[in-house]
Amino acid sequence: MIDEATVARDPIIKCEGVNKWFGEFHVLRDISVDVLPQEVVVIIGPSGSGKSTFIRCINRLEEHQEGKIVVDNMELSHDVRNIAAIRREIGMVFQQFNLFPHLTVLQNITLAPIQVRRWSRDKAEAKARELLERVGIPEQAEKYPGQLSGGQQQRVAIARALAMEPKIMLFDEPTSALDPEMIKEVLDVMKELATSGMTMLCVTHEMGFAREVADRVLFFDQGRIVETGTPEHFFVNPQHARTKLFLSQIL
Amino acid sequence: MATRSDPRITQTMVYYQEPPVKPPPMLAAGPLAWLRDNLFSSAVNSVLTLLVGALVIGLIVSFINWVITQANWYAVIFNLRQFMVGRYQVDAEWRLQVMLLVIAFTIGAALAAWGRISRFFALMIIAVVALAFVIPVAIRAVGVMPPTYLTAGATELQSGSSTETPLPNVGFIGQAGETISLQLALDLSADDEALRTLHSFGDVAANLLRASAENRLTNAQRIAVINAQLAEDTPNYRTLTANQRTTLEADLGRLVVPDPIAESLALNQTPINFRILRGSTFEPILEGTLAADGTAATIALPEDGWYILETTGDGIGLLETYGIYPHLQRDFSRLEELDEAGNVVNAAGRYQQYVRMTDGFLTEEIRPRIDGRDVPMMIIIDNQYRGDRTLNDYLVLYLGPFLEIINDALLWIVIAAGVGYIGLGLINQYAPVEAKKRGSRAVAQRTATWLLLALPVLMFVLAYGVGGFLPLTDTRRWGGLLLTVMLSMVGIIASFPLGVLLALGRRSKLPVVSTACTLYIEFVRGVPLITVLFMAQLLVPLVNPQLAEVDNVFRAMVGITLFSAAYLAENVRGGLQAIPPGQEEAAKAVGLSGWQITLFVTLPQALRLVIPALVGQFISLFKDTSLVAIVGLIDLTGISQATVAQTEFLGLRREVYIFITLIYFGFSYIMAALSRRLEASGSGAARRV
Repeated sequence: MIDEATVARDPIIKCEGVNKWFGEFHVLRDISVDVLPQEVVVIIGPSGSGKSTFIRCINRLEEHQEGKIVVDNMELSHDVRNIAAIRREIGMVFQQFNLFPHLTVLQNITLAPIQVRRWSRDKAEAKARELLERVGIPEQAEKYPGQLSGGQQQRVAIARALAMEPKIMLFDEPTSALDPEMIKEVLDVMKELATSGMTMLCVTHEMGFAREVADRVLFFDQGRIVETGTPEHFFVNPQHARTKLFLSQIL
Repeated sequence: MATRSDPRITQTMVYYQEPPVKPPPMLAAGPLAWLRDNLFSSAVNSVLTLLVGALVIGLIVSFINWVITQANWYAVIFNLRQFMVGRYQVDAEWRLQVMLLVIAFTIGAALAAWGRISRFFALMIIAVVALAFVIPVAIRAVGVMPPTYLTAGATELQSGSSTETPLPNVGFIGQAGETISLQLALDLSADDEALRTLHSFGDVAANLLRASAENRLTNAQRIAVINAQLAEDTPNYRTLTANQRTTLEADLGRLVVPDPIAESLALNQTPINFRILRGSTFEPILEGTLAADGTAATIALPEDGWYILETTGDGIGLLETYGIYPHLQRDFSRLEELDEAGNVVNAAGRYQQYVRMTDGFLTEEIRPRIDGRDVPMMIIIDNQYRGDRTLNDYLVLYLGPFLEIINDALLWIVIAAGVGYIGLGLINQYAPVEAKKRGSRAVAQRTATWLLLALPVLMFVLAYGVGGFLPLTDTRRWGGLLLTVMLSMVGIIASFPLGVLLALGRRSKLPVVSTACTLYIEFVRGVPLITVLFMAQLLVPLVNPQLAEVDNVFRAMVGITLFSAAYLAENVRGGLQAIPPGQEEAAKAVGLSGWQITLFVTLPQALRLVIPALVGQFISLFKDTSLVAIVGLIDLTGISQATVAQTEFLGLRREVYIFITLIYFGFSYIMAALSRRLEASGSGAARRV
């Protein structure tokens, strides 16, 4: 998906030797990976392998204890302003949608642009309606999240993340809580996003999506990256025994 | 048994014909079906329905019966102002009237913004107001004021240990043009059976007559029963043991049946001479004789003021009079009052008002004196209505006068609410279209929100005053419902932000803040409200004498606020804890800062979750304000205690407490109903994700 001519080759995300522990449990072990602008990286791996924790470290929902993460030339540190600046550049979509149930769809999407970007309400709403159009549910703007189906909610969540005009989107198992019929509508939105040139990090179990959209696949196991490569390499010719075992179990 | 080869299983079917989409069938087929399904669905349910129904109906019937025949509402009707505003300055009372109108206006506006008044409801309201005006007029037209029974003559009356002699002079107040009529109560004096049915106001001797007749008849009946039992002639006592016989005979020995009262006294058999004198001049305006032939005397009073009914006679007479009713004496003191020319209109000192209890007519004319003593008058303690009241008497004595007191206020309230409702509707209708893109009632809702926010401030300013504009009122004179409402309003509004801050503080990551908040909350929750109030009233001035300057009402407000905030904080904290962590993560992920997350994401959801608990807290705060009665403030409960302690209103505890119960219930119920509305509004209409 990378248009060679337009891409600056400097990585937009740089991780070097990232380590993290939950208490005694070593959850991330020496993760070093770079993500290029407009690249689509899919992260797969068994439960508890640290893939969600890893992408949550990138926007500082989790704190790493060793190593270095640099996003858009800003290193993550304890500086609150720094974290805020980085979060403005990164959108995130969660497994459980995490929409704000007390706000309408439109308010969900416009909250951050108005409060963080200081846009006018009109500008934010225009942007929100445009995004709702893009994710295919313009008619749901005035409803509350509780009145939408799971697939619609997840598309609102994507629109909410996009409203901040992020450079990077993180997806944390966005389809795992959905009925099979709704998975497709969310994946379609994600595919469209990937085609448009968004930098995406995506934790998912949707192998079809990984195969079709990913530029690169990372395979996590027990807190480390076991294997990485293009989807062709990964699904046709995996090298590591753990990868082979995993793929044989899910495909 | 079906097997795989069973053609019914293996047969392939494709359904191309779509069944039509139909509306649901009518589930309820009329009220009878509803009754069957809900109230009589099973044997147990039927029994429960009947039992509860009988209980409820029985309670209602006996309550209404009590209200009409027994309850004495004078303590409430007489002290209505005290119950509402205490001793609030009379010259500032217009402010409370304005306050009432502002409240009604705001309620109307809020209804226009969020509610809807159906045509039926509007007609109901108009009908209620119209009835409040029509009913008293109708009662006046159709109803008859009950008589007052006075005794006259020289015979001493005896009943048990008490003796009474008819008063030769009775003073009473009257209004110019009012008719006074007198005659002998011949229908009551025929025999004791008639005499016992006396029910109305009466002097002490008249009541003694009634009680004696009643007593004699009861005793006679009891004796007949015992005699029948001794003769072993009743179904229950076929044979008597020696013990039972002894007991019954002892009972019989104790029962004395005097001679028939009416006959032995020759009640109403001798003529009674009477004179009615003008109290100020002792000039007779009517004199005559009432005899057993039924002659009646009538006179229209020439002017307002005191009159004296003087009666003489050899025997004893029972007079049925109209126009003479019990009085209440009120004592006041006042400063010297001058007119514009500087002449003294009213000298400084004490003066009395005499109020007629049946209609509130009052005079300040000095009570006449006879032989150096105030003329005796019918007072409301001793000359209360006796016997079971009739419906007519209930209507003319209580319902009519009560409606007459409140119907003007009711009319103004409804007008103000109607103006608010219609006015806001018009504002909304003629507002520019672009202002309404967030809903057809957006303008009305925004306006009503501002009105609601301004209302408490306005209420407080009106009641208390504001420097340089409205003179400050003396809070020591605040009382009754006004004080209760002010205490709860300030308590609720001030404790809410404080409670939220305490809840947030307790959850703070900063140990100093969270420890301080936790200590405060736990300390206050460990102390009874009454202690907090006592501290605010008594201890604080000891600790810092300057605080003694702050008046009691404000100290009580501060005490209630600080107390309520601790409980509120725990409610809010419960709500905050119930918010899933994903909410905060999502808010962080879109770049909201810590306080923005609290303000826009977690706190609104937490508050919505705990609306029932918060409103419960507010309702109990509203009722807990009654504790200020113990520290000397006279709120609604305090006024009630003070009222039933007055000699005039002794024994009227039930009526007074039922009255304030209705007020407390009304306010609490409104709060609860608003809470339900609030829960179901906005995202509450769609359940949580």
